[in-house]
Amino acid sequence: MRAHRWIVSALVVACGVWWWTFGDTVEVVDQAGETVRVERPVERVASVYGIGTYYLYALGVGDRLVAGWYVGLKSLSQASETMLRFEPELEELMNYGDPNVEEILALDVDLVLADGSQHAAFAEQMSDLGVPTIQCLVESLDEMREAIRLTGEAFGDDASERGEALTADLDRVLERIRDDLADLPEADRARVLFVGTSSLQIASGDMYQTELIDLAGGQSVAGDLIGSWNEVNLEQILLWNPDVIVIAPYGPVQPSDLLDSPDWAAVAAVRDGRVVRMPRLIAPMDTPVPESLLGVLWLADALYPDLVSLDLRGEAAAFYADYYGLDLTDAELDLLAGE
Amino acid sequence: MTEKRGRTAWALAVIVPALFLGALLIGRYGVHVGEALCALFGGADEIVRALVLRVRLPRVLAAACVGANLAVTGATFQGIFRNPLVDSRILGVSAGAAFGAALALLLSAGPLGLQASAFAFALVAVGLVVLIGLRFGSAPLILVVGGILVSAFFTALLGLVKYVADPLSSLPAITYWLLGGLSDARWETMVPLLAITGVGLPFFVAVRWRLNVLTLSDSEAAALGVPVRGLRVAVLGVGTLLVAVSVAVGGIIGWIGLVVPHVARAWVGPDHGKLIPVSFALGAGTLLVLDTIARTALPSEIPLGVLTGLFGVPAFLLLFLRFLRTRGEAR
Repeated sequence: MRAHRWIVSALVVACGVWWWTFGDTVEVVDQAGETVRVERPVERVASVYGIGTYYLYALGVGDRLVAGWYVGLKSLSQASETMLRFEPELEELMNYGDPNVEEILALDVDLVLADGSQHAAFAEQMSDLGVPTIQCLVESLDEMREAIRLTGEAFGDDASERGEALTADLDRVLERIRDDLADLPEADRARVLFVGTSSLQIASGDMYQTELIDLAGGQSVAGDLIGSWNEVNLEQILLWNPDVIVIAPYGPVQPSDLLDSPDWAAVAAVRDGRVVRMPRLIAPMDTPVPESLLGVLWLADALYPDLVSLDLRGEAAAFYADYYGLDLTDAELDLLAGE
Repeated sequence: MTEKRGRTAWALAVIVPALFLGALLIGRYGVHVGEALCALFGGADEIVRALVLRVRLPRVLAAACVGANLAVTGATFQGIFRNPLVDSRILGVSAGAAFGAALALLLSAGPLGLQASAFAFALVAVGLVVLIGLRFGSAPLILVVGGILVSAFFTALLGLVKYVADPLSSLPAITYWLLGGLSDARWETMVPLLAITGVGLPFFVAVRWRLNVLTLSDSEAAALGVPVRGLRVAVLGVGTLLVAVSVAVGGIIGWIGLVVPHVARAWVGPDHGKLIPVSFALGAGTLLVLDTIARTALPSEIPLGVLTGLFGVPAFLLLFLRFLRTRGEAR
């Protein structure tokens, strides 16, 4: 009896010590391979990774942001009306350029989200200063899933569940598209050229855009290119002779620039009038943000309007409501659906 | 000996047009030579005609113009400044143009806006150097130092533009532009280049015999009774326009303006009467060859500035060694 009491007391003390040392903390292995110890609850977070900032919103912890970088946004004046409705405090939150270690330290945050490809030294410094910093390295859909999963893990149960729901949604949409296009012969798959901020800047095979084209049932004509955006010449584009040209949702290039140009007239996509610019509501859908789920659907719909059975408007309305807490107006849905 | 070499240089009158035609016939899109020739005379099918007349021809023409402009102005400036390390960019043209182009890309101006901005800021940069010259004296050394300072100033401004540029959109565009390349050459954007080259190059060819006088000091030239000041201003002015428009179209293409004049000088000697036409032909020919490599070797463009550097540096080193050997200063 007495022995029992001793054992119970010892267990209680051990549990207390365990709880005190480890209970409120979680260890996350980030995408740079670093083990990051995060103390929960994370109530203040900064994201210096312009794409990762949107993971936080999708995980339902956007209200804990105290500073954020926003991909493709460098000044408030560039923010669309939709963006401002989505994040009314954008003016206070948004930052641009290289993050400053002391500036972020002064914010007294519990967690920092960084881009492993740019901020490795910054992340190391933050960690040395005792601020847990998760580095994301995302250039594919799987890497985006992983980044969302581990960010969710750092925040805890609710966020994790939302992250799982998001990836499940993504799987559902991708599977539907795959089913819809199952009977499409390989030879009929649209040959797509993805154009960036000038009409001769082309997305390479290494880029997220090429994966999206693939998932949308198309095939990139520039899949052999490597690295980031490649500068090509018009002759190479004539040689590829793409069926469809997709223009990134940023930069000055508009479909009419190509459709009205005599230089491009001989390209199949231009001849057939199949030059489209990706719409943009909040983040650019061709980057590994959660909205790239809609990016794939939009692309599939643009390539095969008669085959894709999912309703783009309905999916978009549900996505923005579920993950960004935003009710889209009819005009915004029209913009997305290209009507 | 120079006399004899001068005669061999006539071969360029055949070689350069041949290179021009060759460049028109070569490309990634496999077009049969006969078909391409047909296209030149309005035959062939629509796609081949568009390819040869709308894609290749303006670009090949741009390569020839830019190469000739840079080489001729480089040769002239080396003489005027009595400094063999000077090239066509000495008066800050490149740095000014680079800033102007970056600014236009930052503000998403179209291709013509970009060209106009690059051209305008190239002239602003040279204007600043001229102001320095007017204030402190227009001796070659002062202008050279002025050019270095103004270049450094615009390079700093360029750094600022790059820093605030959007890494997703304008920054890569600025980076590409700075590496140099002619992939944007279209008929619609070529008018300024063709117009200025069409007036400027014949001007240099016409005054080539008198350029020798400019390499003398002012008092020596005055003793010969040549109105040296007016000629120098005209040559610097026209040269600046030629370089500015070339950089505005082709971005930063280094080494042509430095190395080609030296090759020409090694070939036909320092007399501008021969040096100018030979630099003209060699510059055009060199850039025709390099640009053909740039647009055909890989599916993506190889930046032209990278190629001119890769070829220019060893060429310069060889010439330099040769020069040192003639003076007995190198092994």
